[in-house]
Amino acid sequence: MGKSNLFINGTKGDKAIVLGNEAIARGALEAGIGYASMYPGTPASEIIIALDKNKKNVENLYTEFSLNEHISLHGAIGASWSGIRSLCAMKNVGLNVASEPAQFLSYTGVKAGLVLAIGSDPGAPSSSNEQDDRWYSLHTYMPILEPSNIQEAKDFTKDAFEISEEFSFGIVLMAPSRLCHNAGALYFGNLRDRADIKGDFKKDPENYLNLFNMAVRNHTKYLERSELLKKYLIESNFNQIINKSSSRIGFISSGVIYAHLMETLDILGVYDHKILKLGFTFPLPNELIDRFFEGLDKVVIVEEAEGFLEFQIKKIAYELGFKGEIHGKDFFKQTGELTIDDVIIGISKFLEKPLPAYFDFAVKKDKELQNNLPQRSGTFCIGCSHRATFYSILKAVGFSNTEEKERDVVIAGDIGCYTLGLLPPYNAMDFLTCMNAGLGIGQAISIFDKKKKVIALAGDSTFYHSGIPVLLNAVQNNVNILYIILDNSWTAMTGHQKTPSTQKDIDGKPSPNALNLKDLVKSLGVSYVKSLDPNSVKRFASQIKSALKEPGVKVLIAKRECVLQEIRRNKILKKNEAGFSESGESLYEIQKSRCVKCNECFVELACPAIILKKDAEDEADFYYIDPASCVKCGVCYEICPNSAIRKVEFDLKPAFKLSRKNADKGFNAVQVNVNV
Amino acid sequence: MKKFNIAIVGLGGQGIITMGTVMKDAALSSELQDVSGSERRGGAQREGYVETFVKYIFYENESEMSSPRKNMHSPMIESGGADALISLEPLETLRGARYLNKNSIVIFNQTPYIPISVRMGQTSYPEISFIVSELRKITENIFFYDFDAISIENFNSLTQKNIIALGALFAKTDIPIDITAIENILMEGKGAENNLKAFNLGLKL
Ligand code: SF4
Ligand code: SF4
Repeated sequence: MGKSNLFINGTKGDKAIVLGNEAIARGALEAGIGYASMYPGTPASEIIIALDKNKKNVENLYTEFSLNEHISLHGAIGASWSGIRSLCAMKNVGLNVASEPAQFLSYTGVKAGLVLAIGSDPGAPSSSNEQDDRWYSLHTYMPILEPSNIQEAKDFTKDAFEISEEFSFGIVLMAPSRLCHNAGALYFGNLRDRADIKGDFKKDPENYLNLFNMAVRNHTKYLERSELLKKYLIESNFNQIINKSSSRIGFISSGVIYAHLMETLDILGVYDHKILKLGFTFPLPNELIDRFFEGLDKVVIVEEAEGFLEFQIKKIAYELGFKGEIHGKDFFKQTGELTIDDVIIGISKFLEKPLPAYFDFAVKKDKELQNNLPQRSGTFCIGCSHRATFYSILKAVGFSNTEEKERDVVIAGDIGCYTLGLLPPYNAMDFLTCMNAGLGIGQAISIFDKKKKVIALAGDSTFYHSGIPVLLNAVQNNVNILYIILDNSWTAMTGHQKTPSTQKDIDGKPSPNALNLKDLVKSLGVSYVKSLDPNSVKRFASQIKSALKEPGVKVLIAKRECVLQEIRRNKILKKNEAGFSESGESLYEIQKSRCVKCNECFVELACPAIILKKDAEDEADFYYIDPASCVKCGVCYEICPNSAIRKVEFDLKPAFKLSRKNADKGFNAVQVNVNV
Repeated sequence: MKKFNIAIVGLGGQGIITMGTVMKDAALSSELQDVSGSERRGGAQREGYVETFVKYIFYENESEMSSPRKNMHSPMIESGGADALISLEPLETLRGARYLNKNSIVIFNQTPYIPISVRMGQTSYPEISFIVSELRKITENIFFYDFDAISIENFNSLTQKNIIALGALFAKTDIPIDITAIENILMEGKGAENNLKAFNLGLKL
């Protein structure tokens, strides 16, 4: 949102383009929240980022990037019990970590409203699975709201707090990445007066003590509250029946898939069937479904994943004795993101209508094209130290990423930017599942497969999330394993939130409570621990080699700040320096005459700033460092076995221009010091 | 109801998301106007395929705007549903070609960023002529420029190429948004001077 002032000051009548995540945050603000937390995770991160970056200008708002989701949800519960409306956000898999507090939340209930906003990730573009968290509610009993667009994301979030208080449930607000990262028009509502947001924890042993028969009593109570909520939902505006027509076909849908469905019907020119839009997808009142079923022979449930609605509705249909057909997953796939294309195809098939010609042509053409296109995958940023870390690991274990041979080292992967090390050209992970699975699973492999050494990886944020007990476990059981912590000082992947490792903020201010990771690891009982700069690849690789020879738990900390943050900070600091003008002080270049195209830099390291060019005269390919992209980390310079890469330093600060023409010919500026 | 759908594709780090945001921000000039469109973005990393959609919606009247049959818009564009496709990377134009129909306008950047699979010698990068001939099988309205070179030439950096491409979009399509609306948004944002210059460079293409 361009106008961040509207985000905190906008009132009824104002309108702006916002992201789905920002709309959720705004809804919470309109509801008068005093607490907001999350462990960052795509696609949900901007929910709390939007609040956190504005908190200085919002009275009585506490925000927190918690160390994990379990802590974050507990924090929200504590705030709620203190009478503070609280918002806790997380990505889909975050609920696995927070499932314990979530499980207890219905037992104890809330005091002030509590909303759990979950960013789901169908198709898993940013996740290690595509689980549908709605299924949790079959046992947590947390009611689920599913907004379909930006406006509903805000309105539903705001209303959710009231419902939370009225029925004493934490409310789940489900937003798939398509909504989190949708941008659209939002009409603002009024903000609540914030002066009276003050905590007051009132003891409530009746509800908050959850043990023995007290737990059983609380269990009974929440089942009763769920029934009350169901009654309320029979008539509520969250669920809508559209078109009480004479058609004998009805569609049921919710969330973003409902938006796909409505646009599909518009594209197909079909306007006569009955539609049930579910705002609350749990719990579902039988009376509502009964009212919808009236006069219908065929019902089609349009939804993503395995069919959470279909599961519930078929049960209700059985209870109601409905005699018509119920379809769903027989027309819509269970895995991968359900796109608008999938909905168009499924609905056309069901209605036995031909596909629109332009659409049919495009789908076929696309299939034909995709088979012949080179695949593309993401990679580390230019100058990212993770690239150097993976390069060093592969060198240390005597393995080239282009060789086909079996590696006799097991590399245990984990979650973070460095996860990209599992992709080509590195292919440097043997398994990857959830947070801190690397060291956990790696420990047992090292116990049972004595022939292979095990290297487990974790980023600093991942380590602090839940890695400390895993490392302690390895120490306690004297496991033989090398643990490499890739400490880049930030939770980088989700937009650079601070971790306990962050030494300096982006504006250069030292963090007040920065942790010394090496000391922490030592204090956990690890005697073999070294902290190294991964960009010194030769030294780093040799340290990995020696560490692998030692028994027991070894920890190497690959310590170097995320290059993006380093660059950003330098820019900010330089801007503040009066009279500073950008000038080239050094650059790396490949000397064509010396380069034998051994591929060490181009394929093995694979820095994207090293590109392939064609000579203008003889058309021959050559490798070239693009000066507009290179961030001068110097790693390629260190690894070239043929000394073909040189560092050119400029003493003067000529305001030379990086034009393509000049760059091709080499620089005209005065070269004072050339290191080869 | 009138619609104008734009798909923007390219690689992480090329400023695709920013382009979409500027275009959406420029959309609220009239009451009967709506906008939708989601983006596909990974983490902070580079070089992966990124796409974002901008869907402008113009209602005929109030009743259309309040009808549930008409006022709910998918955040995605269906295959063949784009009026325009902008691509900041030649190969990715073909990945985005699924959104094209015979009337669509394609604007693409001709500087290739070769994927890892090509780097490793497993596949080869298609020639620009191949890309153009494949696109021709769908639409005749194809424009391509070296946005990278134009950006470096004028700004000594690659960072303006997305805004130059945005200018080209306004030059080559009848996008139903006022040029001044975009300029106003650019004026409010960071790096206003360069952005306005870049946008105008694109307009002249
Ligand atoms: S490592 Fe050196 S010799 Fe090998 S390809 Fe790179 S520049 Fe050329
Ligand atoms: S110095 Fe070499 S490895 Fe580092 S960013 Fe530049 S080209 Fe890439």
